[in-house]
Amino acid sequence: MTEVLLEARGICKSFPGVKALDNVSFNLRKGEVHALLGENGAGKSTLMKILAGVQSPDSGSLFYKGTKVHFTTALEAQRAGISIIFQELNLVPHLSIAQNIFIGKEPRTRWGTVDEKKMNDSAEVLLARLNLKISTKIAVKDLSISTQQMVEIAKALSHDSDVVIMDEPTSALTESEITELFDVIHSLRDRGVGIIYISHRLEELRHIVDRISIFRDGQFISTDDYQAITMDEIVNRMVGRQLTNKFPHRKNVPTSEKLMEVTGLRQEGILHGISFDLRRGEILGIAGLMGAGRTELARAIFGADPIDSGSVVVNGQKLEIRSPRDAIRFGVAYLSEDRKNEGLAVRMEIGENISLASLSRVCGPLSVISREKEQLASRRYVEELNIRTPSLTQKVNNLSGGNQQKVVLAKWLFCEAKILIFDEPTRGIDVGAKYAIYELIEKLAIAGVGIIMISSELPEIMGMTDRVLVLHEGELTATLVTKNTNQEEILSFAAGVERAQNNSLSKENP
Amino acid sequence: MSNPAVTPTPLAEMMKKQHRGKLSLEKFITLAALFALLIIFSVTAKNFFTVRNVLTMALQTSTITLMGIGVTFVIITGGIDLSIGSVVALTGTCAVLVANTGVPSWLAMLIGVFVGALCGYGNGLLVTKLRLPPFIATLGTMMIFRGLVLTITNANSASAPDDFGHLANDNLFKVLHHNSDGSTSVVFPGISSIVLIMIVLALLFAFILKMTKTGRYTYAIGSNEEASRLSGIHVSRVKVYNYIFCGFLAGVVGILLASRMVTSQPNGGIGYELNAIAASVIGGTSLMGGVGTVGGTVIGSFIIGVLGTGLTMQGANYFAQQIVIGSVLIVAVAVDQLRNRPRRAKGNR
Repeated sequence: MTEVLLEARGICKSFPGVKALDNVSFNLRKGEVHALLGENGAGKSTLMKILAGVQSPDSGSLFYKGTKVHFTTALEAQRAGISIIFQELNLVPHLSIAQNIFIGKEPRTRWGTVDEKKMNDSAEVLLARLNLKISTKIAVKDLSISTQQMVEIAKALSHDSDVVIMDEPTSALTESEITELFDVIHSLRDRGVGIIYISHRLEELRHIVDRISIFRDGQFISTDDYQAITMDEIVNRMVGRQLTNKFPHRKNVPTSEKLMEVTGLRQEGILHGISFDLRRGEILGIAGLMGAGRTELARAIFGADPIDSGSVVVNGQKLEIRSPRDAIRFGVAYLSEDRKNEGLAVRMEIGENISLASLSRVCGPLSVISREKEQLASRRYVEELNIRTPSLTQKVNNLSGGNQQKVVLAKWLFCEAKILIFDEPTRGIDVGAKYAIYELIEKLAIAGVGIIMISSELPEIMGMTDRVLVLHEGELTATLVTKNTNQEEILSFAAGVERAQNNSLSKENP
Repeated sequence: MSNPAVTPTPLAEMMKKQHRGKLSLEKFITLAALFALLIIFSVTAKNFFTVRNVLTMALQTSTITLMGIGVTFVIITGGIDLSIGSVVALTGTCAVLVANTGVPSWLAMLIGVFVGALCGYGNGLLVTKLRLPPFIATLGTMMIFRGLVLTITNANSASAPDDFGHLANDNLFKVLHHNSDGSTSVVFPGISSIVLIMIVLALLFAFILKMTKTGRYTYAIGSNEEASRLSGIHVSRVKVYNYIFCGFLAGVVGILLASRMVTSQPNGGIGYELNAIAASVIGGTSLMGGVGTVGGTVIGSFIIGVLGTGLTMQGANYFAQQIVIGSVLIVAVAVDQLRNRPRRAKGNR
């Protein structure tokens, strides 16, 4: 068990303006699952890419099975037996499972054509090793995300990989799919494969991990046996300071005035009659596992997707939601977790993005835009939200994640939204910027805005919300007062283990 | 990730940057290319840089320019309009047929332009209501409109009343000199009203694109349609507007051409849509959407126009011109691609 498969010594890597890795060392043993932990920007992904030959280090050396190696391409690393499975799967949707597994290395007949039979047979053997009984001729696009992931793993195995690197493999999977994935990881480990496992979900580590390496700001912090380290220690080392600093000291006081009431919201097969209310000055969390319907709920309220039944009342007025336009008119705003695809017109300037939802406010007569008014508004928000940019006319795709999030927020503030729905507001945002976003959210609540915050990170829910709705497979399983609950309780409601009677009205009143 | 390279600058400095030259690099390059062509042809071709020739070039280019502007709007939203060549034939023919029933020519022309806008509206509905890919929708209507005009006229052109020709054949600001011997000589031949109409409409649509909500939404939709929808923009409506603009301008071109010939041309306008798209793309419009300007398209169309005239005057035949213009199109886009190629390995930690 102690044989070292892959070792990195003194790796440094810089990108323009950033030191991504600073003298980092790391080793992976045969037959272990080794977790790489760290916040966004800690350098995990860069290290992973260097190990897999996707990027070359500026200095430092790699040793694989005892010899010094220097991979210049991912293909070289792959041939040597190091495979990487990226978070975004790299499969060709219209090709079959077998075709995907053997893409680029199709077995040939002696005529030079692809040996379909041999390919399908080999693919079947590989899938069998993963306990997957499915025809290898099915097109990948018709598979569930988890099965697609299995195909990726099969692809990695087809290289006879001794090292498999997985980047957040569970981020798109449901509970039961995760269990399946873990079974596969176990069997790979038992076969002597070394697995590097990157995840943000600390709670799942106990199921599979042998050792843990922690990174922070491009520096290597520590490597420990999983048994020898506590969760608190892990978190503290990742963050580099006590958790108490992670969230602002909360000063907002929820009123009893109901800003929004949602009743019996239903979307066939997705949301099953969800009812709740949001009060002025409140931060209401929505917790739940992947696939629980959190984003769907937010989009339904916002009118982005059609609903089958149910009502949304804002400020005592029933909202006819047919499109986001209707919701916006009532002061409801939605900040998608997918900022680049759903939040920003990335090729447009900061100011143009800020005014996008309320262009009339910077228009003179005849719908003519006043650049002056627009610049004034964007200057105001760049100052107020501390958006870091070299100029006001910067295109937003040149901004960092945190600053992009602030631009989206500025758009809705300029629109004078009274209800803001944040969907994973800090996903992909580094620690410092996270804190700034939290502060802004809190400030908005103090100003009397009603805030709904969807989050997968329970500490964020615990640290930032007044009440929390817990969803499980499209149903509201609990409405909890945050200060009277804890992460374990939220999790058990989220997993559907527990179900609050009558939405625990007793617990609801602060 | 807080990128140290992006440091906050004092706002005063920021505001200063706003007012620095608004002329973007790519527009500068195409404009420079246009001037280079003008200079080259002036030197190499006799009679190229004469008042008369320049005015003729402007006249001949105006039709591509107008259609290019319309299609620019559509391309910015991420669409395309292949039907405008057929719309040119249909609108011109409609106007002539209506005028021949005794309706005053000006009214017949307005009806023709209206038909153009209507064609655009139809395209818009196909794209937004039936959710057809714009390429398919307008490929279909390209055939339908062409078939319609050929069916109506049985492919015969008809001549129009005389006054139908005034619009496109009269020159404005003509300056004559009365010589002492009683004869007159032409000092300035005057500008064709086609050119003037082009200038007015180019300014109008540049204004719409840059300064109005519709224009802003056009860019927003091309930049990110879903984000636009989630910002409360009526995406379908804006798209329909754009197809109407495109059809309207094609209608104007149809009228101008019919007026110039004083006949209807059921077979006219074939392939014009491709020239218009080429002009737009040479002018910097991106087929991916979100990028493009009216000014760029005007420059792009004049590059095509100047090349055509210049090469003709040097004796190059029409076939050779096609080769040159096609190459220019490819080079223009290739340069753009090379400039915008993302630097490798951006360090996505």
